[in-house]
Amino acid sequence: MLSIFDGLRTLSGWSVLLRMALACVLSALIGLERSMRNRPAGFRTHVLVCTAAATAALTSQYLLEILHLKSDVSRISAQVISGLGFIGAGTIIVTRKMSIKGLTTAAGLWTTGIIGLAIGSGYYELGVLATAFVLIIETVLGKLGSKIRVRPQFTVEILYNEKTSLDQVLRHCKDHHLLIENLKIHSLDGGDAAYCAEVTLRGNVPPETLIDSVHKMPGIVSAVCL
Amino acid sequence: MAEIFDYLHGLHFGSVVIRLVLSLIAGGVVGFGRSRRDRAAGFRTYMLISLGAATAVVLTLFQYEMLGSAWADAVEAIGDFKYDASRLAGAAVTGIGFLGAAIILRIAHQQVSGLTTATGLFATVCMGAAAGAGFVELVLIATLITVLVLNVMAPLEGMFKRRLRNSTLNVEFDSVESIETIVEVMRSRDAMIYDVDIEQTEERDGRHPSAIFVVQLSRQKPSHSGMLSAVAELPCVYSVQELIS
Repeated sequence: MLSIFDGLRTLSGWSVLLRMALACVLSALIGLERSMRNRPAGFRTHVLVCTAAATAALTSQYLLEILHLKSDVSRISAQVISGLGFIGAGTIIVTRKMSIKGLTTAAGLWTTGIIGLAIGSGYYELGVLATAFVLIIETVLGKLGSKIRVRPQFTVEILYNEKTSLDQVLRHCKDHHLLIENLKIHSLDGGDAAYCAEVTLRGNVPPETLIDSVHKMPGIVSAVCL
Repeated sequence: MAEIFDYLHGLHFGSVVIRLVLSLIAGGVVGFGRSRRDRAAGFRTYMLISLGAATAVVLTLFQYEMLGSAWADAVEAIGDFKYDASRLAGAAVTGIGFLGAAIILRIAHQQVSGLTTATGLFATVCMGAAAGAGFVELVLIATLITVLVLNVMAPLEGMFKRRLRNSTLNVEFDSVESIETIVEVMRSRDAMIYDVDIEQTEERDGRHPSAIFVVQLSRQKPSHSGMLSAVAELPCVYSVQELIS
């Protein structure tokens, strides 16, 4: 701990003002970055969460330091942390394709609340330090995150007549380290093919290459990537 | 070596910086492996959560020191005073539990997704808390184990599952009576049927009647696609889908 802040560790008009102001400024920095990316929880949400957390921390310190009440100083702060978990859960959206959106926002909001608690408790250095790290994560590493290559998932629809044709396709997928994530077979009435199989795969083989090799197999009527 | 750990176990400005950085590294390493697998939580999420938990625990230690310095008068005035140093870390674990619950989805046909991500976040918050407390040895070991389980075990589990003779099939058919025919076909391939769960008994909202069959394929005929084809060939069956979780 830095000794220059020692005079501001106890409650006084100035220290309360400083803590609330610092909570505003730090959360505004985090919130601005989010706002600029047009994320659901922007500037105001972050400032509200952070100042509210600082208020809660100040209140528990007041109960102990000024009122001399027998209370656990960490209890209110602890409820803030779990309460923000609830709010974060609410910001998470399930899109129509059954994927998750808003988890990073929820995590950022949660961490901002904890920064508010640190400031409100009078641990200024910790609050500033944590804010700096959050900003580094959001700005510098945000760019890095989009560069990570994910193994693509794709679905191929195959029309075929013979049962053995499908076995051959699946063996081909396994040999090329394509992971079969889903397999669905319909029987078709009439038309050129007897069956239709939808295979969902994950791996580093481009769908076009796979389709080309599938076309060359006997008994395959058609193969397309969905 | 021991001196480094001793330094980190004390609460100084330098050790706090190292603890926070350590929490970021732990969260980043776990998150980096996960985000390669096209999941909801990128590695920034893991880092933020780990950082938050570490901050909460450092704050606890700060408050504990305050009780002996700035707040000493109040503590003396109260007399029998108790401070629970584990409360903030405890709340962090609960809070992230909620977040985890929000990302677990029930997708179609009795399957769930997001469970591994949720538990990964849960593990991260615990590692962050340990980093905040300055328990460096534990953080290093826990990070190593978590990364091993999440990244190395995943392909192993995949390999294992592909060799497995158990298969879960979602079958759409024309009427409930057809279940008997389907079961007969499965038996003719010497499969053991563990469970038949009828999802829908009649045509509704343009969806055919359907059921989920949990079977174990026989040692002689272990081919998953063979079983699928055999069921798909039945005239009463519209479609059959293997559910791979």
